[in-house]
Amino acid sequence: IAAIEIPQKQWPALIGTLLANMTQRESHAGLKQATLETFGYVCEEISHRDLEQAEVNNVLTAVVQGMNFADNTVEVRLAATKALYNALDFAETNFQNEMERNFIMKVVCETCMSKEVEIRQAAFECLVSIASTYYEVLEPYMQTLFELTSNAVKGDQESVALQAIEFWSSICDEEIELQEFDPESGESGAPHSRFIEKALASLVPMLLETLLKQEEDQDQDDSIWNVSMAGGTCLGLVARTVGDSILPLVMPFVESNIMKPDWRCREAATYAFGSILEGPSLEKLSQLVQSGLDFLLKAMKDENNHVKDTTAWTLSRIFELLHNPAGGFSVVSAENLERVVQILLEGIQDAPNVAEKVCGAIYYLAQGYEDAGPASSVLTRYIPSIIDCLLKTANRADGGDLKLRSSAYETLNEVVRCSNIVETSSIIAQLLPAIMEKLSSTVELQIASLEDREKQGDLQASLCGVLQVIIQKLSSVDETKTVVLQTADQIMVLFLKVFACRSSTVHEEAMLAIGALAYATGTEFERYMQEFYRYLETGLQNFEEYQVCAITVGVVGDICRALDGKVLPYCDRIMDLLIKDLSSEELHRSVKPPIFSCFGDIALAIEEHFEKYVPYALQMMQGAAELCARMDTSDDELIDYANQLKRSIFEAYSGILQGFKDSKSEIMLPYAQHLLQFIETVFRDKQRDESVTRAAVAVIGDLADALGPNTKLLFREKSFYVEFLGECLESDDEQLKETATWTKGMINRIMVS
Amino acid sequence: MLETQMAPHDLRRQYKRPAISDQQRRRELSLRRQEQNRRDAQLQARRLASTLLSLEHASGSEDIELVPEPEPEPDSQTE
Repeated sequence: IAAIEIPQKQWPALIGTLLANMTQRESHAGLKQATLETFGYVCEEISHRDLEQAEVNNVLTAVVQGMNFADNTVEVRLAATKALYNALDFAETNFQNEMERNFIMKVVCETCMSKEVEIRQAAFECLVSIASTYYEVLEPYMQTLFELTSNAVKGDQESVALQAIEFWSSICDEEIELQEFDPESGESGAPHSRFIEKALASLVPMLLETLLKQEEDQDQDDSIWNVSMAGGTCLGLVARTVGDSILPLVMPFVESNIMKPDWRCREAATYAFGSILEGPSLEKLSQLVQSGLDFLLKAMKDENNHVKDTTAWTLSRIFELLHNPAGGFSVVSAENLERVVQILLEGIQDAPNVAEKVCGAIYYLAQGYEDAGPASSVLTRYIPSIIDCLLKTANRADGGDLKLRSSAYETLNEVVRCSNIVETSSIIAQLLPAIMEKLSSTVELQIASLEDREKQGDLQASLCGVLQVIIQKLSSVDETKTVVLQTADQIMVLFLKVFACRSSTVHEEAMLAIGALAYATGTEFERYMQEFYRYLETGLQNFEEYQVCAITVGVVGDICRALDGKVLPYCDRIMDLLIKDLSSEELHRSVKPPIFSCFGDIALAIEEHFEKYVPYALQMMQGAAELCARMDTSDDELIDYANQLKRSIFEAYSGILQGFKDSKSEIMLPYAQHLLQFIETVFRDKQRDESVTRAAVAVIGDLADALGPNTKLLFREKSFYVEFLGECLESDDEQLKETATWTKGMINRIMVS
Repeated sequence: MLETQMAPHDLRRQYKRPAISDQQRRRELSLRRQEQNRRDAQLQARRLASTLLSLEHASGSEDIELVPEPEPEPDSQTE
């Protein structure tokens, strides 16, 4: 209630009443505890601007006094510390004042040494939150904070030690963000205090120590989170923060532990090595990894499950970060590839946790060859056995919670997607019926419980995903496209059966696959429309799972391009649903731009028949254009959204103008002025995105092309286009220049007419 | 709120146990293919207009800046 009433100044007495609870001598501990909890709730919900500064100060004073050891019971101090955690944002003004900040920090640090574990943990949670909220004022406290966290990591209970590590991870997050924003620092105005760099020599040994505190079975249970895992995660962040300078601090630890008889030492050494692979320079890392790779491959045969788990994870990191044949660099060569593949295919038969990490390694190994041209040929000879092993892995009965099965299918997708299609066409063509058979057998499954239903849905989603990737891959080349065309009927029958099983994840995956199929089959897709249409309709009405709706909108576009005029019988209902989607406040906004683009697709397909939709569609487009002009230009996310929206509105105009060009272009005359006005606003926008520029220039040309001499006067009035075209013609973007040249030609034609 | 402990960040848990999933990638690739197909379709319409323009020009209109016939783009590759 306070969260609603305080900002509206409707409950002015509340804070005073609560404060009285804390200050009156006769108040008992239970009342103080409840009051502090209430302060916590209220401070989290409201802004400090909703109260007078004096009230804010009084609240914080009461909370901080509640943390005082001498005066309060354990329960009151715990409630006060948790209340402070919730009130940290609320204390913004107080953190700007040095004296007040010093006081708050002093109390928090004292509380970090409290006798009670729960209170210490809550105090460290405050420090974690302070690290990210008030990074820029932490300098004077860092020595103390290092000592506090270091003691906690070394000797305190796990729940406290985890928060102490989290403190450093949060500092890394802040510094990484500062570096990403402005690598040279300084220009953005936000200070980079280089706390990690300064603490490095002590911080890294402290983190390395944690790596040796593994638990038995930690890799078999995804819910386990302990000091060694948090320590490795933090080490990875430190490496990303400081780069090369972490190497001399970590490598001696790796070298001295990696051969030790105790598995904990070997695992910790491997985990440390895997953690520093992102951040340092390629030059430094490649040398280390080249010499370490052979050792790691051998370690895949270690007697200990955890060592193998971490080794496989480290291999996946190596392939992710240091294997990029397309970019001309890789630690995998034609010479060692055979051994790499052999070890991975043996490792994938290991325990499920190890097998899953091996899937990750294969995933990134294959990904490296994407777009690698002739370099990708080296993998081709291994692809049949890789696919075979992945299918066997997906079939394993010991896959635990099905994570392994899903990982195997996702990896299979990556292998197919990144393969050299010319060389692997027959392998992939054979994979198609094998996956279809699997999908077909899921439809027949006996469903006795909700759990069965869920399992069936997951498996179908995975298999539809694989089919989509195969269809897309085979359709990308004419020689293999025929395989898709010959199988299209059976594929479609299968998808329709899957749709009938109802599960939204499956719908999304199947929808994506159908989009790819429509693209491949072209006009032939018409024969599936009558059956398929109702699922299209269901997808367009799925507001809740908006991704399904967005994908379906995209598929409508695919179908329009595939069927052209033959999509007409379905357009009344489709347009009706699209307009409803646009008008819906319930539907996620990200679906709206694709709908405008889809208007363009429909108009281009059905040409003059789009006439009856013009009043509705244009009303929506004009409304959205006006919304763009009013949008907040200081919010990055909104700027991005506005750019998407603008581009899609232009795409809609382009499709409609081109669709009407040969028959009814005059229909668009009344809208020409508004369109040019909108383009001018966009032209003057300083945050204009390249893709928006391209779409805007194209639509100017489409306007001139479709409406011809009718627009002569309009173009004379709106002479901004000259400047706009000039800017585009000077661009380095060839595609933009080409479009601008075309547009200029179209306008010249009407100007001389 | 006050009862819940601040759990370790879910993203941190993912560090050594990343879920292999390319569902998002499948979505993005489909979207890219669709965008490319849309561009191709619209470009096709514009090429027709250009061809007509060049023909008009060849048949004698004057003072028109030449619009070069755009080179056909390489086949769309969405992979």
